[in-house]
Amino acid sequence: MRLFLLVASVALFAACAAQGAAAKTLRMAYDSDPTSLDPHEQLSGATLQTSHLLFDPLIRFRQDLSIEPRLAKSFETIDERTTRFRLREGVKFQSGRTLSAEDVVWTFNRLKQSPDFKALFEPFSEARAVDGLTVDLVTKGPYPLVLNLATYIFPMDRAFYSGVDERGRPKAAIVKHGASFASTHASGTGPFIVTEREQGMRLKLKRFAEYWDKDSPGNVDEIVFTPIKEPATRVAALLAGDVDFIAPVPPTDLARLKQASCCTLITMPSTRVLTFELNQERVPAFKDPRVRLAMVYAVNSEGIAGKIMRGLATAAGQLSPPGYAGHDPALVPRYDLAKAKALMKEAGYESGFSVTMMAPNNRYIEDARVAEAVAAMLAKINIRVDLQTMPKAQYWQRFDERAAGIMMIGWQSDTQDSANFYEFLVMTPDKDKGYGQYNAGNYSNPEIDRLTLQTQSMTDRGARAEVLRKIERLLYDDAALLPLHWQHLSWAARNNVKIGAIVNVIDMPYLGDLVIE
Amino acid sequence: MSTEALRKSQGSLRAVAAEHPGGAIAAIVLGAIALAAVLAPLIAPQNPFDLASFDVLDASLPPSWLEASDERFLLGTDAQGRDLWSAILYGTRISLTVGLFAVAIQAAIGVPLGLLAGYAGGRVDTIVMRAADIQLSLSTLMMAIIALALFRAGLGGESLGRFAVPLLVVVIGLAEWPYLARTARAAAQVEAAKDYVRAARALGASTPGLMWRHILPNIASPLIVVATTQIAGAIMAEAALSFLGLGMPVTKPSLGTLIRSGYDLMFAGAWWITVIPGLVLIGMLVSINVLGDSLRDALDPRRMAG
Repeated sequence: MRLFLLVASVALFAACAAQGAAAKTLRMAYDSDPTSLDPHEQLSGATLQTSHLLFDPLIRFRQDLSIEPRLAKSFETIDERTTRFRLREGVKFQSGRTLSAEDVVWTFNRLKQSPDFKALFEPFSEARAVDGLTVDLVTKGPYPLVLNLATYIFPMDRAFYSGVDERGRPKAAIVKHGASFASTHASGTGPFIVTEREQGMRLKLKRFAEYWDKDSPGNVDEIVFTPIKEPATRVAALLAGDVDFIAPVPPTDLARLKQASCCTLITMPSTRVLTFELNQERVPAFKDPRVRLAMVYAVNSEGIAGKIMRGLATAAGQLSPPGYAGHDPALVPRYDLAKAKALMKEAGYESGFSVTMMAPNNRYIEDARVAEAVAAMLAKINIRVDLQTMPKAQYWQRFDERAAGIMMIGWQSDTQDSANFYEFLVMTPDKDKGYGQYNAGNYSNPEIDRLTLQTQSMTDRGARAEVLRKIERLLYDDAALLPLHWQHLSWAARNNVKIGAIVNVIDMPYLGDLVIE
Repeated sequence: MSTEALRKSQGSLRAVAAEHPGGAIAAIVLGAIALAAVLAPLIAPQNPFDLASFDVLDASLPPSWLEASDERFLLGTDAQGRDLWSAILYGTRISLTVGLFAVAIQAAIGVPLGLLAGYAGGRVDTIVMRAADIQLSLSTLMMAIIALALFRAGLGGESLGRFAVPLLVVVIGLAEWPYLARTARAAAQVEAAKDYVRAARALGASTPGLMWRHILPNIASPLIVVATTQIAGAIMAEAALSFLGLGMPVTKPSLGTLIRSGYDLMFAGAWWITVIPGLVLIGMLVSINVLGDSLRDALDPRRMAG
């Protein structure tokens, strides 16, 4: 055995040495791999992270949340409804074609079709190609978040996605949870090309030789993603040197990683809120605001943040994190078991009821344990929770079916603005416009809908913030959902992998710019 | 039984115990575990299946003899604040229940089929034993995983939580009947050729009566030995399935579920959630296997003669 190990390690060392001179390989372990390559299929962190590898946005956020030009080399406001983007010249798609304004228009129109993304782009009326390298984004009225949304426009290769595949289906089709052409093929302008993909096993990428950004310091030639679902195994793989970069780091292993001299640990508070949605159509009791309020009072979110998240989260009483326009410091977590019991009694549910709960077990940090803890807390007010946890690949499908009475969702604002939370999580579900697409609680409050839409055209920041805070207070008083905490972000890498420069608060590591020493 | 015979059997029990000290110790350990499991609701300070009885603020506390522990929790708590001692008592209960009932099912199917095959021989024997071979070629865990995954998909989590124990019993029971069937068949074949069987037949005993009343009592000892090891196997299968997340749900943890729930906390310092239930499981399995060995030795007529 020892001999074998010796031989194996010598061989490995030789292989590494030979490779080290020529190519830098990043071996990365995530909690789970992206379910699709289609940038418009699922509005999720994993989709956007993948998009930043295979595609490039028009503009993107820097670490300090200022705007960095990418495919658009400059942008300007033409009038209160029009923003003009000038594209870089000679940007190549991975298929070899050259990027033009028409590709941006095509991508914009596809975004407007996507069930998940269309609500984001609802305030926009059109994208117009002014000339070969100039695009105008036109909004229906004055809209304060045009640039924020331009970070979500990852131009796709119009010609590559046109026509039909070998089975006669249109290549451009957006199919949720299905095998479409776009979910398994990609041609963007991004720094990496998919060379091998085995869902749930491995994703291999190599650097795109004709990548437009020659100034990028990134020197990674190959990336091997391996999903490792078990957090402890992921950390062990990093410590053993089997992988170079892991995310997220489980709260339980923070102390161990801090002490390890081989590796760098980076954590930062994020803007992702973790919440439960209470399905009023499935569970009539949830129609009663007193019952919802009782549940809010029964859940000790401080306890969860401290004991299960081990400080890797900030307990939340509202959706908007500190720093957001809608954040109201007065809306603190409420935990009061006596009050919760009193409210249940008042609502006529003293003896409680049974309800189903679903949560993913590889999407959010400690998601399954958090769900279990909430189930135990609700048991104290006689709400008997039947909890089912599952991998996210199955979870999103169940979520779209609104399959349980209580469903977990984590939400990061796509626009870095409070209104995004309301548009997706609490507005009345509207299939045409896409509002309420992730409102699995079927919560509906005309006042919230009206105020949220009102903020879309308000350009006076102070007045707009006032309205956003009003919405947040209404949701708080009505206990529209069960906010738990804002989860912190965490990454860890071997010391020679310089992740400090490429990770950010929006949780989209720009691996194209990663430097390995 | 006369007093004389009773004294004799007690005497022989003592003699057996003296001859097999390992078996005696195993029997005592097992008896203690079984007693604790039966009396769990009386002994346990907390009902670990009642989600309202514990608090997340008590999560991951170490056993009482370590620093930063809480004296309310003798063996510490799991990641949800559940008292580990109570959880182990209740978990052992599940393990033993599954073990005993699963083997009861195995016996109910395997013994009659084996007897029939061994006694009747010929085509019946071929059919039964080939069925057993096919069954054995499918691994128990694989069959159980498929069956439980189907139930989970079909019934949803709620029913699974409620029916987890009977489901595990049935799945493990159905998957492993051939072991008892093979043993019964081999022993029955030997017995069927013996004189007392011929004599009984000559006296006009019916076939079922002959098998039930004459052969079965004479092949009981190998069956008991195999059943004992099968109990250990069933307990282990339950633990493995629960460890894989297909057995007992997290809200009703068995030993396997507990081991799994603490698995990723082990390197983070909270070793007790995995290690203590693991030791209990090992202790129980070793005792059962040692007891099975000793029983085999004790019941073996050739060894007994010596």
